[in-house]
Amino acid sequence: MAIPPGFRELTEAMGFAAANGPWFEKIEDGRAIRGFRPGPQHANALGIVHGGMLAAFLDSAMGTAVFHGIGRRAVTLKLSIDYLGPGRVGDWLQAEGQVIAHDENVAQVRGRLYGPRHDVLAGLGVFSLLSRKRVIRTRS
Amino acid sequence: MQQEVLAEDRPPQGFIRIDFDRDRRQTTFNGHIGTLYAKRGEKGTADEFVLGFRVHPHMCNPAGGLHGGMMMTVADLVGTMGGGTLVGLRKFLPTVSMTFDFVAPAKVGDWVEGRCEVVRQTRSLLFTSIYLTVGEQKIVRASQVAKIPTGDGQAFGKARLAREEHAAARS
Repeated sequence: MAIPPGFRELTEAMGFAAANGPWFEKIEDGRAIRGFRPGPQHANALGIVHGGMLAAFLDSAMGTAVFHGIGRRAVTLKLSIDYLGPGRVGDWLQAEGQVIAHDENVAQVRGRLYGPRHDVLAGLGVFSLLSRKRVIRTRS
Repeated sequence: MQQEVLAEDRPPQGFIRIDFDRDRRQTTFNGHIGTLYAKRGEKGTADEFVLGFRVHPHMCNPAGGLHGGMMMTVADLVGTMGGGTLVGLRKFLPTVSMTFDFVAPAKVGDWVEGRCEVVRQTRSLLFTSIYLTVGEQKIVRASQVAKIPTGDGQAFGKARLAREEHAAARS
């Protein structure tokens, strides 16, 4: 199915992200937006997108927002999620994060996951910033 | 094929594969992410409902650790399926809100277990605390609020413990 213009597939994804993808990303005015189109393999017993899948996707978008916002790699320390509405299989879903504040060690990030009609998830996270010297082989 | 999976996962004594997609043509997310197991223990104990799985590379991040998304998916399931089981609800409980603390990492080959405690049940909501552990080490602390649908709601999907297969594999 069609991918909206400007999005590129994250082909460097490995492991969990690759097994549950494909995921896409668009950089717009220095802001990273991630997108994916859930299929039946992402559904729960109700036929809507599994909450764990949505949480994983929003988490990835919020981590990327830290990298694009302040140029630091980050890992999640804490994540709070409110499930606002169902994610529909077949819909194009997007997620993005916004760094609200940070110091040398941690960043506070707000996240949003939404479909074509309504907001699906609202997130608030604390991310631990990795050392600038640390070399990461791949990113996804 | 399922018996090969059982052998590779080496689930500890008492764990039975959860069959999420019985009679379903397509695999749903809980079946897609990997083989998950459950153990039922004595009522009222911490082991009354335990979910378990073996960490494989397809559940990991590029650094080789268990992916946070996998931890959150399993913790979500422990809260809704385990919490529902503990209070005797055979309904699908949609998640309203969750908070996760990523306390420690897990690696390929680790056996991860999930347990939950019911904090409070109201007519329409179920509050639970969830821990994921590897041995004695806690790796995730989560808290969840789930909705209890009015009426009969949807039955908890088609998820069942695959007891027949378990018995066959052991015999």
